[in-house]
Amino acid sequence: MKVMSVWLDGLWDRNPGLIQLLGLCPLLAVSNTIDNAVGLGLATIFVLVLSNASISLIRHLVEDAIRLPVFVLVIAALTTCAELLIQAFDYPLYQSLGIFLPLIVTNCLILGRAEALARRESIGISTLDGLAQGLGFFLVLISLGAVREWTSATLILAAFPPGAFIALGLLVALHQLIQSKLKHRRAKVIQNSKDRRVRTTGDIP
Amino acid sequence: MIFRLTIFGLITSLFVGIIYVITRPLIFESKEQARLEQLYALAKPLLANGDIQASIRQILPLGAPPTLTSPIEVTAITNATAQVGTVIPFRSTEGYSGTIHMLMALDDRQRIVGIRVIDHKETPGLGDKIDIRKSDWILQFNGLSYGDLSPSDWAVDKDGGRFDSFTGATITPRAVVNALRETLNYLDANPQILEMKQ
Repeated sequence: MKVMSVWLDGLWDRNPGLIQLLGLCPLLAVSNTIDNAVGLGLATIFVLVLSNASISLIRHLVEDAIRLPVFVLVIAALTTCAELLIQAFDYPLYQSLGIFLPLIVTNCLILGRAEALARRESIGISTLDGLAQGLGFFLVLISLGAVREWTSATLILAAFPPGAFIALGLLVALHQLIQSKLKHRRAKVIQNSKDRRVRTTGDIP
Repeated sequence: MIFRLTIFGLITSLFVGIIYVITRPLIFESKEQARLEQLYALAKPLLANGDIQASIRQILPLGAPPTLTSPIEVTAITNATAQVGTVIPFRSTEGYSGTIHMLMALDDRQRIVGIRVIDHKETPGLGDKIDIRKSDWILQFNGLSYGDLSPSDWAVDKDGGRFDSFTGATITPRAVVNALRETLNYLDANPQILEMKQ
């Protein structure tokens, strides 16, 4: 059950790109082509999964006072490793991602998941959450990349930062639309099943 | 508490250190590969008349500008009778962030055949227009030699020179143009650095 909700949260209900709106800077800046989006998305998943796992692993050793410095230390180390590995195995990608690769360290999504979940949960759930949230971010990143790459041939605006804002806004709107339709339907189902109950006075939680 | 933080610092540094040592030879190889590709692309007009000779490392005499690192790796393009051109690396440390590494191809009369930025960390969308993949700003130097312009013209327009600086980012083009001026000025006075003994 928990596993299911972790997946749902990352991919849809609390999607980092569409609901939590975390990590907007790389999301908007590196989504101009699909290639860049895939590269940065994978690097982010890599850092997020490993940071969630290692923070969960050391969660009993870290007291509150040094919590943030230790988390930042772990995330910075992992980001540096990701940068070195991409530099070693895909130099052209390293060159086209440029400064956004080391900037993964400032992606609020990663520290956010460490704070919100990994420091309390078991290593299994934390790793899974890193994967789900990372994948959610990755999917938004490549959707944005695809939309911008395909439309930029006819609409030059799509290749520039304003185009990124507009495209993301449309994606968020679409997500909200689907979400509200779903909620509406769910509410109806609940209403139907409760038809025979009669509500009396008083606060009913 | 401090002790624990120190331990965590040591462990993470050790981890990064291990990855660094493992990836270092691979990174060196990919960088060298990228540099060679740029070098061939740059020297293309010269290659019509000659071939790339093995690069030679040489120690620069004292008094060389900081834009040239010593030992410097100079690549000569020669044919059977003479040297037709040279590719030489130079750099600027006055960019917005980090060192800007560049390659320059010169013909036998020290005219610029082409310049490319091979590595930089300038701001995306602003300073990175010095990169050929982002804009062809770097092409405006082609065909010029140091003597074609007065020293004060070898500067960005904001400094009274002849070259465009892009809106919102003057530091980066200024760094490139100033490094270019110093380098050309030095090579103009010391042409033996470009000449390869055969």
